[in-house]
Amino acid sequence: MFGWTGKILRVNLTEGTIKAEPLNMDDAKKYLGARGLGTKIFMDEVDPNVEPFSPDNKLIFMTGPLTGTFASSSGRYEVIAKAPLTGTIGASNSGGHFGPELKFAGYDGIIFEGKSEKPVYLYINDDKVELRCAEHLWGKTVYETTDILLKENGDDFRVSCIGPAGEKLVLFAGVLNDKHRAAGRSGLGAVMGSKNLKAVAVRGSNSIKVADPEQFKEACIDARAKLKAHPVTGAGLPTYGTEILVNILNQSGALPTRNWRDGGIFENAEDTSGEALTEKYLVRNKGCFGCNIGCGRVTRIPDGKFKSTGEGPEYEAGWAYGADCGVKDLDAICKASFICNEYGLDPITMGSTIACAMELYDKKIITKEDVGFELKFGDGEAIVELTRMAALREGFGDVLAMGSYRMAEKYGHPELSMSVKKQEMPAYDARGVQGIGLNYATSNRGGCHVRGYTISPEVLGVPQKLDQLVTDDKANWVKLFQDLTAVVDSAGLCLFVTFGIGLPEIAEMLRTATGFDMSDEEVLKCGERIWNLERMINIKAGFTKKDDTLPPRLLSEPLEKGPAKGKVSGVPVMLEEYYKVRGWSEDGVPTEEKLKELEIEL
Amino acid sequence: MKVKFFAFFRNYAKCKETDVPLYNDLRELLDFLCQKYGKEFEGKVYTKNREISDEVIILINGRHIAHLEGINTKLKEGDEVCIFPVAAGG
Amino acid sequence: MSRGKLSKVLMISPDKCISCRTCEIICSFTKDKEFNPKNSAVSVLTYEEALISVPIMCMHCEDAACEKVCPVGAIKRVDNAVVVDHEKCIGCKMCISACPLGNITFNSKQKKIVKCDLCGGDPQCAKFCPSGAIEYKEATPNNLNRKRIIAEKFKELFEEVEK
Repeated sequence: MFGWTGKILRVNLTEGTIKAEPLNMDDAKKYLGARGLGTKIFMDEVDPNVEPFSPDNKLIFMTGPLTGTFASSSGRYEVIAKAPLTGTIGASNSGGHFGPELKFAGYDGIIFEGKSEKPVYLYINDDKVELRCAEHLWGKTVYETTDILLKENGDDFRVSCIGPAGEKLVLFAGVLNDKHRAAGRSGLGAVMGSKNLKAVAVRGSNSIKVADPEQFKEACIDARAKLKAHPVTGAGLPTYGTEILVNILNQSGALPTRNWRDGGIFENAEDTSGEALTEKYLVRNKGCFGCNIGCGRVTRIPDGKFKSTGEGPEYEAGWAYGADCGVKDLDAICKASFICNEYGLDPITMGSTIACAMELYDKKIITKEDVGFELKFGDGEAIVELTRMAALREGFGDVLAMGSYRMAEKYGHPELSMSVKKQEMPAYDARGVQGIGLNYATSNRGGCHVRGYTISPEVLGVPQKLDQLVTDDKANWVKLFQDLTAVVDSAGLCLFVTFGIGLPEIAEMLRTATGFDMSDEEVLKCGERIWNLERMINIKAGFTKKDDTLPPRLLSEPLEKGPAKGKVSGVPVMLEEYYKVRGWSEDGVPTEEKLKELEIEL
Repeated sequence: MKVKFFAFFRNYAKCKETDVPLYNDLRELLDFLCQKYGKEFEGKVYTKNREISDEVIILINGRHIAHLEGINTKLKEGDEVCIFPVAAGG
Repeated sequence: MSRGKLSKVLMISPDKCISCRTCEIICSFTKDKEFNPKNSAVSVLTYEEALISVPIMCMHCEDAACEKVCPVGAIKRVDNAVVVDHEKCIGCKMCISACPLGNITFNSKQKKIVKCDLCGGDPQCAKFCPSGAIEYKEATPNNLNRKRIIAEKFKELFEEVEK
């Protein structure tokens, strides 16, 4: 077996049983691994209409065939389940060292089914796999849980776990590994919590083999050299991390400000920028497993009441708590972001939900009575306190724990939720960057940038310079980026490699690792297959064309200043074209022919 | 008119922004800045053939110059030019 | 020794280490054509409290305790590397106990001593370290001195951890 280990663990939490099963190699060839293979398993085994917190929902951890190898940035694994925040297929991936360790233990993935009566964690030490009592861990933070499990089992274990937010079924709780890395989006941590599964602790001493070691090494060296030579992956990301984007997006007029109400320019962006973070807070860079880029930041709030150390904030978190909440206090932004890791929350949805609450407050739809204190845009202390309260469902935190859509709906104003399919959009205004809006509207897990990051060509000019203000041809680009991203995610690589390398390099690593003779086109076809399978799951779960849209604000309130002044999102126009490019019906349903072409069996 | 610098360009310019006299077009402005801030700055902005380097993002009033007239983009009083290293995130 | 023949040494800069463990993965691959950090002769130790990571491997000591303790003469200096002759090695593991830095391990699956051999003069860990935390440099007096200081620090750190 090459690339893959060939074994999957099936853990029935209701029965307390564990068995190792062989990987279905036909599926592996068609769906690669991680996101693709996990979704295929979900489709085969779970009703797409399953209640997310029902024992019938399954929680799947999957690595890819490149995870844990010399391929740069191959530290990734994916968590898959029906998502509580959106009701769509949920798939969220994370770096660090947990994914590779699972493969070193001898497993490509784990399928969790049922629900444990009491809190448990899964212990994996090569062939020794046990469900163990986690009552002493329940209520503990991600940091505490990780420390305790390392102390109990040995510091060469790797831990993936939930924090209090996952236990309390906060709809956007994440699964965190190696303390600071998050499979953050869609609320998969809450699915884990609903199963009374606190953590997975793994240690492995087996080897991962590849089909053609010398050719694989060459392919990896080639990719590494290209990543090193590219100005983004070789210099920009290592030097400034992702937060460097704040100023770029702000100057481009596409940094959503105050719940997207005040256009795409935040007057205090500089205070929250990557430059400011690097100057005052950066302790050192950090890389995930085998990463040639090393964009991670170990940061320290040097003094004041938020004095502490953590990692991040990444651009999206920095924006959600910063520009989106109108907050310029970088201490507070860092602290709120640290709390998300500590308590196990998705900072994009958390920050955006607070921003939405701030607008509700500003419009006097909610008052001090509802929140417990004043809630004005720009209040740094509030973002920190409300994050903690949401994680623990304390007071108004119980309302925030629903995410912005359900919260705004509760108060009669769902249109104030800046979300797609009830998941909050990230930090690029779709009026100022047209293609990314189409990606938000069509993303299979709701509002999300990392399903098709067209920001790269539209704003950053990589690999080509597309005009961010036009809609022409964006449907083609969105499809290409979505399909390629599905390949990258499913291979077990970090999406950031695509700034420096493309399909040929990735396909060559996959071929030489697995021994499967797949052309570049066939590899990209896997991506399209994965995308269509996800779409079919969502369609079976009741999603239709009407869900492929953006919040009304982006379709009807033009930006008032900056280079995109006067623009609204062109999603309605682009969507028709997108369906055509995808080979779907006018209603956005993959046709029989398309499914046949992609060899998708339902 | 105003020029704003970001990331390591601030190290070369030793400031975050500066007011400069009006130049006809972007090339003239960049030539002036290269003279003022030296070889390192020049090496990041220009290729050997004196074309705009792929390692830099230049915005004029928020618009990427690739979607204006590139290096020949005309400048006028009150324009704001932003110079970034190419970067990314997500 | 003529200037042209000046040998090289592995230099470590913990301040540059990003704890990605690329060194571990390529080391194991170079030895076995498989990926397995547990079989690597280099390990990245992370000291979370101190916010630092240290790639640590055999220092190829001038006065090598492993070489001295080996009962069958399987450990010898070859050029600038202290190398295990696996044909001669009887697997007694005395060298593991003798190494003051804990830089020799035993691969229980392959029944083999795991120790850095500088990859025959082209150490792959240094070649692929993305941040320059591991470098293979000329053994100038300056470099040697720095290496010695770092080795002492490792020793202290290691003893701290063992306690």
